[in-house]
Amino acid sequence: MKIVVPVKQVAALDEEFELLDDGSGVDPDFLEWDLNEWDTFSMEAALQIRENADGDGHEVVVVTVGDEEAEEGLLSCLAKGADRALRIWDESLQGADVLAVAKVLAAAVERESPDLVLCGVQSSDAVYGATGVALAGYLDLPHVAVVKGLDYDAAQATATVERELEGGLVEVLRVEAPALLTIQTGINEPRYATLRAIKQAREKPLQVSDLADLGLEEDAVGQAAGSRAVALKPPEPGEGAEMLNGSPAAVAARIVEIVQERMSG
Amino acid sequence: MFLLAATKSRPVFWHFTTPLKVLWYVLAVLSVLVFLYGVARPIVKWRRGHGGPWPPYPWRELPRRLATGLRLLLSHATIARRDHLAGWAHRGIFYGFIVLFAGTVVLGFNTDFTDPVFGWNYFHGNFYLAYKETLNVLGTVLIAGVLAMMVRRALIRPRKLDYARPDRNSDDSQFDRRVYEVGDWAFVVILLVIALTGFVLEGVRIAMDAPGYAGTQFGGWVVAQIIGGLSHSTLAGLRHGLWWFHGLLAIAFVASIPYTKAAHMLTSYLSLSLRDRLAGKRLRAIPPERADLPAGYGALSDFSPLHLMNLDACTKCGKCHEACPANATGRPLSPRDVILELREQANHAFTAGGIGGVLGGLINEQANGDGFTAGVIGEDGVRTETVWSCMQCNACVEACPVGIEQAPIINQLRRRLVEEGELDANLQSVLQVIHKSGNSFGENRRKRGRWTQELEFQVKDARKEPVDVLWFVGDYASFDPRSQKVTRALARLFQEASVDFGILYDGERNSGNDVRRIGEEGLFESLAEQNIATIEKCEFNRIVTSDPHSLNTLRNEYPDLGASWTVAHHTTLLRELIESGRLDVKGRLSYRVTYHDPCHLGRFNGEYDHPRRILELLGCTLVEMPRNRDNSFCCGAGGGRIWIPDTPGQERPSENRIREAVSLPGVELFVVSCPKDVTMYEDAIKTSGNAERIQLRELTELIEEALVPATQLVPA
Repeated sequence: MKIVVPVKQVAALDEEFELLDDGSGVDPDFLEWDLNEWDTFSMEAALQIRENADGDGHEVVVVTVGDEEAEEGLLSCLAKGADRALRIWDESLQGADVLAVAKVLAAAVERESPDLVLCGVQSSDAVYGATGVALAGYLDLPHVAVVKGLDYDAAQATATVERELEGGLVEVLRVEAPALLTIQTGINEPRYATLRAIKQAREKPLQVSDLADLGLEEDAVGQAAGSRAVALKPPEPGEGAEMLNGSPAAVAARIVEIVQERMSG
Repeated sequence: MFLLAATKSRPVFWHFTTPLKVLWYVLAVLSVLVFLYGVARPIVKWRRGHGGPWPPYPWRELPRRLATGLRLLLSHATIARRDHLAGWAHRGIFYGFIVLFAGTVVLGFNTDFTDPVFGWNYFHGNFYLAYKETLNVLGTVLIAGVLAMMVRRALIRPRKLDYARPDRNSDDSQFDRRVYEVGDWAFVVILLVIALTGFVLEGVRIAMDAPGYAGTQFGGWVVAQIIGGLSHSTLAGLRHGLWWFHGLLAIAFVASIPYTKAAHMLTSYLSLSLRDRLAGKRLRAIPPERADLPAGYGALSDFSPLHLMNLDACTKCGKCHEACPANATGRPLSPRDVILELREQANHAFTAGGIGGVLGGLINEQANGDGFTAGVIGEDGVRTETVWSCMQCNACVEACPVGIEQAPIINQLRRRLVEEGELDANLQSVLQVIHKSGNSFGENRRKRGRWTQELEFQVKDARKEPVDVLWFVGDYASFDPRSQKVTRALARLFQEASVDFGILYDGERNSGNDVRRIGEEGLFESLAEQNIATIEKCEFNRIVTSDPHSLNTLRNEYPDLGASWTVAHHTTLLRELIESGRLDVKGRLSYRVTYHDPCHLGRFNGEYDHPRRILELLGCTLVEMPRNRDNSFCCGAGGGRIWIPDTPGQERPSENRIREAVSLPGVELFVVSCPKDVTMYEDAIKTSGNAERIQLRELTELIEEALVPATQLVPA
C-alpha cells in the first residue's frame, strides 16, 4: 500500500509587516514559514493508516511544490515517519496558481500510482481549498472533500469516511481506492517531531525534481498559464466606528450618551 | 583457655566438641560466600544498562569518592538533615553495628589467625576489659537506636514512611506496599535480637564464672543480676543454646545483607560516593554512541549503570516523598515510588544465571534478557501522568541522603515520551513555537528587545560594541508584560549605577533550560548552540541574568557544549552595587517581607544569601517561611509545567506556597527574584484569595522603590 501526502510550506504573517514596493506581495523579511496546519493532519492520517496496516512494504510519500524553504516542512514529515519525500521546484513556478500546482502534483503523483492521496482541505495562506480537488480531477480519481473521520480497510482497498454537514449531520461515504481525500483539522492529533528526529530525517531520501524531470513544459504550468496575483493591499478602514478613550468612568458615560442618542433617535 | 579466664578473658568456644567447632567454621565460611555472591550479583545487573559508561566514573576517582562518601557517612550529614530523630537513631544503629561488627572481626583475628599461627593471643587483660567496655557501650547505643526507630515507625508514623502510592488508585493491586514494612520491621527486630542475645549471653557467662570485673560489662552484669538464681545446669544449657542462637543469627544476618533492606549498607554508601555534584543541575547529554538510538529511557537496558545502581541504593526513607511539590499538592507522583517501581522492575527482569553467570558478568558485559528490553513506562509501570507531573525542581535530589538521581531519571523517561509523542498537546505546541521563533511566547524574534523602547536611554547592543556586563534577558523577562516592568526597573538601576551593559536583542534565544527539562534534548542542543555562537562573538567580562533558569543552564550546562563564561544572577550584581554605594538605597524601606528562593537559584546554584543581604541592606525585615533555602518549595512552573494546564480544582503548588507565606504574622510582601515566580505568584495570590493580605515584589522593584526618594531628594 502506498499513500501520497501533498503538503505545502505556508507563510505566516507577523502582526506587523510591510508590502513589497510594487504591491505584489508581502516583503519576505516579514514572513515566517511553517508547514500548513491542515497538512499536519493529513500526514498524521497517512501515518496512522500505515501503522495500522498488516504486513510490511507500506509506504508514505510526502510531496511538495516549493523552493528550498519548503524542505524544512518535508523534514518534519520525514521525522514523523514518512518514508521518503519529493520536492518539485522550477523558477517558473514562482507565483503559480492553484491549477498549475495541481497539474505539477498530478504529474508527480501519477508516477507513484498510490492507493490513497491525502491532501489538507486548504492552505492557510492562500485559502483556495482547491488544490486537492483539482489534483483529483487531473488524476481522474474519485475524491471526498473535508473529511472529518477516516477508516481505511487495506484488504478491501476501501475507505469509509465521514463528513460533517449542516446541522451537525454526519455523512458517511465509502470510496474505493485509489482515491483522493482532503482532510479537515481535528480528525486526529498530529504527532510531535523532535529536533533530533528532524536532524536524523536528513538521512532519509529526499528527491528534488524540476519540471523537465516530470515531463512538463514550463509554459503549460508556469505563472503564464493561469491567474496571478497583481496586488495586495490592506483593507480600507471602515467608517462609523468611534473609538472611546479615557478613564473607565468617561468611557461608560460616553456609552450611556450614545445609547440615549440612538434610543431617542 | 581455662587459665586465661582467670587472667581477665573468656573462652570463645566454651565446652565445644571438635565437630561442633568444624560445623561453626563451615557455616561461617558459607555465610561469607553467600554474602559475596550477593554483592557481585547486582553489579552484573547494573552492567546490563547501556545508557552510560561503566564504571560511571574513571577508576582513579574511586579512592577520593569513597573517602568523600565515608566522610558524609560518618558525619551523617545527609541522613540527619531535616529529621534529627532519624539522624540520631541511625547514628546509634550505625556506630553500634560498626563497632560490634569490628569487635567480632578483632576477636576472630585473634582466635583464627594470631593465636593459632603465631601463638599470640591478645584477647585478655586490659585489652579484654577495654574491649568489653567499648562493646557494652556501643551495644547499648545500637539498642537505643533500634528502639528509637521502632518508636518512630510504630507511634510517630511520619507521613514519609507511608508507602501508599500516590501514582496508583487505592483499589489498585500495586497501591499497597505494606509488604515493604515486613522487611523494615524484620530488619530492626533482627538487629535488636542480635544485640540483646549478646548481652544475655554475657550475663549468663558472668552469672556462671563470676569473674569479679563485671563492672565493665554493665549490660551483662544487669542480666546476671536477673538470672543469677538459675541452676548451674540451666545456665550451662542457656549458655550453649544462646551461643548458637546468637552466632547463627549473626552469620545468617551477614549472609542476608545483600539480599534484604540491609543491602543499603553497601549500595547506599556506593551511591553516595558516586554522587554527581551537578545531578539535575546539569542534565547529561545523549552519549555519542547512542546518537542513533531512541533518546532517553524506555527500557531498563537504556539506563546508565549509575542509575541502575541508584535504584538499589534507595532506603525508602521518604525524604524525597516529603520534599516533592507534586506529591505535596496531590499529583500522582512520588520520586520514591518512581525509584521503587523501577527497582522492582529491574529485580523482576534480572536473571543472573547462577554463580557462573555472575562471575562471567563481572568480567564481560552480558546480553540482556527480554525483561531488560521491555518498556518501563505504562499503566503497570511508571505512568505517563507521573512522568509529566514532575517539575524538575530537584528537591528530591537535594533531599536524598544517598545520592539518588530521581529528577534526572524522570528526565530520561521524558526524553523517550517526547520522542514517542506522549506529551501534552499544549507542551507540544510550545516546543514547536520555541523551535520556530526561538522564544516560548511565539513572538517574532525582532520583538525581543522591544521592552527597551519605553526606557529613557538606549540599551547597548552587545553584539555591536564591547560591554562589561552582557545581560542575558531570557524569555519571560523579555516578553511577559508584568516581568517587563521588572526588566525595565533593572535596566534603570544598571543605568543609575553606571553599569556598562548590553543585551543581545534579536540574537538571543530561549536558553533551553526548561526545554531540556521537558526532555526535548535536540531542541535544547539547537538553542544552546545558537546562543553560544551569538555570545562567543561578543566582547564582555561577565554575563548577568535575572532569570535563574537561564542562569543555571548557561552556567552549568553550556560548558558541556564548549562555553566558559562567568555567569551571575542579577541579585549578585545588585548586592555589589548597593554595598559599594553605587546604588544609594540603604535603609530606606521598612517592609516586613518574606522571600521565596527560586529552585534554580537556590537549590541548583547554592545562592541564598545575596537576596537576603539586599533585603537587609534595604532595611526590610525578613520573616522566613518554614520551607526556605534548600528546602524551598517549587512554584510549579519548572520542568515545562508552566505550559501544562493544571487540573481544575486541584491545589497548585504556587497557591500552597502563598498559603505558607500568609500564615506568617504581619508579612506584607512576598519577594521573589525570578521572572517565572513573578508570573506564578501574581496569579496564585489572586486565585488563593489573598490579594488583600500580601503583595508580590520582585527584588529589583524594591530596590527601585528605595532609589526613587534618593533621586528626588536632590535639590532642584
